[in-house]
Amino acid sequence: MTFRIGRRQFLMGSSALMAAGAVGAGPAWAQGTNLRLIFWGGQNRADRTYGVADLYQAASGNSVEGEFLAWNDYWPKLATQTAGGNAPDIIQMDYRYIVEYAKRNAIAPLDEFVGGALNLDGFDQDQLDGGKVDGKLYGISLGANSVATLINTVAFSEAGVEPPNRDWTYEDILTKGEAFSKANVRGGMKMMSDASGTEPMLDNWLRQKGLSLYTADGKLGFGADEMTEWFKMWNDFRAAGVIVAPDAQALDTGPLETTMLVAGKAALMPSNSNQLVGFQALVPDRLDMVGYPRLAPGVGGGHYRKPSMFFSVGGSSANKEAAASFLNFFISDPEAAKILGVERGIPCLPATREIVAPTLDEANQIALNFVANLGDLLGPLPPSPPAAAGEIDISLLRTLSQEVAFGARSPEDAGPYFVNEATAILNRAS
Amino acid sequence: MTARSFETGTPAGERAGSPSLWSRIWQQDAPGYLFLLPWFIGFFGLTLGPMISSLYLSFTHFDLLTAPRWAGLDNYVRMFTNDPKFSASMRVTMFFVIFSVPLKLAFALGVALLLNRGMKGLPLYRALFYLPSLLGASVAIAILWRQIFAGDGLVNKFLALFGIIGPSWISNPNYSLWTLIVLSIWQFGSPMIIFLAGLRQIPQDMYEAASLDGASKWRQFWKITLPLLTPVVFFNAIIQTIEAFKSFTPAFIISGGTGNPINSTLFYTLYLYQEAFGFFRMGYASALAWVLLALVAIFTAFSFLTSKYWVHYDD
Amino acid sequence: MTDAPMKLTVVGAETPLWRKRAISILSHAALIGASILMLYPLLWMLAASFRPENEIFTSASIIPSEWSIDAYFRGWNGLRTSFGVFFTNSFIISILSVVGNVLACSLAAFAFARLEFRGRRLWFALMLMTLMLPYQVTLIPQYVLFRQLGWVDTFLPLIVPKFLAADAFFIFLMVQFFRGIPRELDEAAMMDGAGPWRIYWKIMLPLSTPVLATAAIFTFIWTWDDFFGPLIYLNQMRDYTVMLGLRTFTDSTGTSDYGGLFAMSVLSLVPIFLFFLVFQRMLIEGIATTGMKR
Repeated sequence: MTFRIGRRQFLMGSSALMAAGAVGAGPAWAQGTNLRLIFWGGQNRADRTYGVADLYQAASGNSVEGEFLAWNDYWPKLATQTAGGNAPDIIQMDYRYIVEYAKRNAIAPLDEFVGGALNLDGFDQDQLDGGKVDGKLYGISLGANSVATLINTVAFSEAGVEPPNRDWTYEDILTKGEAFSKANVRGGMKMMSDASGTEPMLDNWLRQKGLSLYTADGKLGFGADEMTEWFKMWNDFRAAGVIVAPDAQALDTGPLETTMLVAGKAALMPSNSNQLVGFQALVPDRLDMVGYPRLAPGVGGGHYRKPSMFFSVGGSSANKEAAASFLNFFISDPEAAKILGVERGIPCLPATREIVAPTLDEANQIALNFVANLGDLLGPLPPSPPAAAGEIDISLLRTLSQEVAFGARSPEDAGPYFVNEATAILNRAS
Repeated sequence: MTARSFETGTPAGERAGSPSLWSRIWQQDAPGYLFLLPWFIGFFGLTLGPMISSLYLSFTHFDLLTAPRWAGLDNYVRMFTNDPKFSASMRVTMFFVIFSVPLKLAFALGVALLLNRGMKGLPLYRALFYLPSLLGASVAIAILWRQIFAGDGLVNKFLALFGIIGPSWISNPNYSLWTLIVLSIWQFGSPMIIFLAGLRQIPQDMYEAASLDGASKWRQFWKITLPLLTPVVFFNAIIQTIEAFKSFTPAFIISGGTGNPINSTLFYTLYLYQEAFGFFRMGYASALAWVLLALVAIFTAFSFLTSKYWVHYDD
Repeated sequence: MTDAPMKLTVVGAETPLWRKRAISILSHAALIGASILMLYPLLWMLAASFRPENEIFTSASIIPSEWSIDAYFRGWNGLRTSFGVFFTNSFIISILSVVGNVLACSLAAFAFARLEFRGRRLWFALMLMTLMLPYQVTLIPQYVLFRQLGWVDTFLPLIVPKFLAADAFFIFLMVQFFRGIPRELDEAAMMDGAGPWRIYWKIMLPLSTPVLATAAIFTFIWTWDDFFGPLIYLNQMRDYTVMLGLRTFTDSTGTSDYGGLFAMSVLSLVPIFLFFLVFQRMLIEGIATTGMKR
């Protein structure tokens, strides 16, 4: 599984061999290098990305050949290409997978290029840290992002209930929710979706308590008691009828179009700031955005500015430095910034941000303001999650929250069960 | 009939007296192997290697991104001693196989018989009945199935006419698997077409002769149609069972790849896929795959052994 | 056995005319009712392709509030490469797959059904085994193999296996049908001095129109609908198939053009539906037109 002939040689024959020779001889990367880039997203993102690739080619002489896929298709293909020794040079990475790929050297540390091909002066420190694994820089954040609660403003005004503001609390879910249910709008719409299985919301709740999902050394950062308390709280919401019923919530399988917000079953939904635009396209009512609820008035620190996605460089790439120079161009070139806008999130270089800010439409403006003005909601950046975090989220937390919601397991039972299983998964992975 | 030897046009066999071993082989075995040549090239060149690789990987820890590490029987031991999701997914799959396969086959055969009669507009009906199978694994199916089986879906609107308030079938762990069984039955197009092709192959004059003898249609069905159709029934039963064991796409698109609610639609191959590409355990996934293969192979071998009692070939 | 076919088959030759009529009307009614059930998804998709974007998932009605054909133009040119290219690619791959599958699988099936040779049972069992292993675990070894052959990023991994009878489903299918063809026919031909090739070509194939048509239909449709093979092996958008193009339309994490997706989904059904309509005629002809007498 480790033969060394690049794909490009198959495609281009001798000219590629000459280029490969040039790489060895002259500077670390010769002009005319062809870089392969892979990312997930839709055509809109692709148009912007290819626009920048064309600019880069004109400026540097290196060409970039891009490939884009839908999220669900992206990961099996990337894994297959990597396993087949055919990984692209530049790889769009997600916060969830970066540890997995970094620990296995499937993506390369970029520290040696910082200050050289990669100029990160002034790059937001938290975004820089967000791309680090074990102290080494593996991903360049393409945009800052935060968790946020999306609000269907029209549904709230129909119900005659004041929508939540930045000071809202978990208590408000009960009080406002009851008023909302009483108004009985749109055939029994509930105020909020059931987020008992939403990992970022649990994380945010724990952080307000001064805890965390995971510790810096990759252990579980909380105990069975907190987990039980969490599930109990949601059981109370469920009993009070302020969140959607479990069998409706289970219709949400991930894609935007299956969510309670789009289905019109809930007027509030915990999500991410960069997804407002996507949701707004699917919902006729005007959407707004506010932070996650506070534990109590005045308590903050649950939020953090998270990298929405990264660009990383393939671990086996023969053109690492050229790839780094493309990343540099991508995040800092003024013309590139105009093309990219905030489609991948709020740019992390102040100069780029200034170029982008005036060009935004309303939904993007809301997202930018929200992320820029988190204020006391903002807490420290959590350590990068252990490699098994994704498995714990997908195969344990979500399923367990459904078991509790459907009454198949009590919160008292679910707390210790979660801790046991999560610890087992963490041990198995390490 | 004794072992048959075809004339191959080679005079080798005609050399009277002492046909050498080689010429006997050439006469007896060569035609078979020549006809199988493309398949042999494909089997040894493209299929066998990856299969053996996956068997090897099942004895390793392989995270896709780094080289596999030898693990001995670890994967198999874990599967049978310490993996509740393995048994859960096996139960889901067994349930699915037991209910979806017979129902789908009965439905396909029933419709095929109905469509095999000389009615007007039959090509059109045939095409319409095949439509759901054309859609394959389209995104539209996932959305459509929600519209039918969600809490405010078509089924419940219909039940409401009788004052029954139905649950959200598709997202309720007690019923969600049934909606997938219905989906599988709804896409009955391929076995139906195969049944139809089988029915077309039954010579019409057999029916004519039977009619002359005064046999009723009912008798004709049992004495002519069904016996002559058994090879096709056998084929459909085997194939549909194998496919049902391997069923992946319906659960993947309907549950968004999660197998939820509460793992109630966690099909075996969906679990395998999660392990392989979601959690980077290709070694374990390969072991899961080979256990499935063993199970299906035993079932198939058993079916072939019993087939001589009920499948009627013309040879 | 369901009871529907039984009821229908008990109708004998001497049934009174009115009963025949009634049964005919009833069967049509049942068929039409069932057809509507079958048609519903297509109607829904059609409606979705004509309705405003923000109504697709929020409206309960099947009739759009406004009609617009816009999504078709938007969808056709929605990706960097036009859907015309995707359709061409899908056609090339599907047609070649049909040719490959029908030829290679019928050769292998003839050997298994009619020829005696040592090891036949073993090879047959091994062939069936290839059906039983979930493709997810052979994907990566196969990728490595095709990459070593230099075939990644071409159509070859999608087409060549078909010419090498890699899909055991079709071999098994044809074996079952070939075995249903009376042996007397090839024995008679053998007496006349025909070799296996002539028996295959002059007797088996002509008598097997229904199963060959079935294989052609399934190969075309399944190849057309397949997205995992193209997903893994095709990297450049100009090589994409229709199904891969459709998958690229939606991104569950961001903005997607659902109207365009459904418009193109409707269009993508047209070729396979037409292919089905044309080839199902051969299903009907079958043995009745070959003039064979027992």
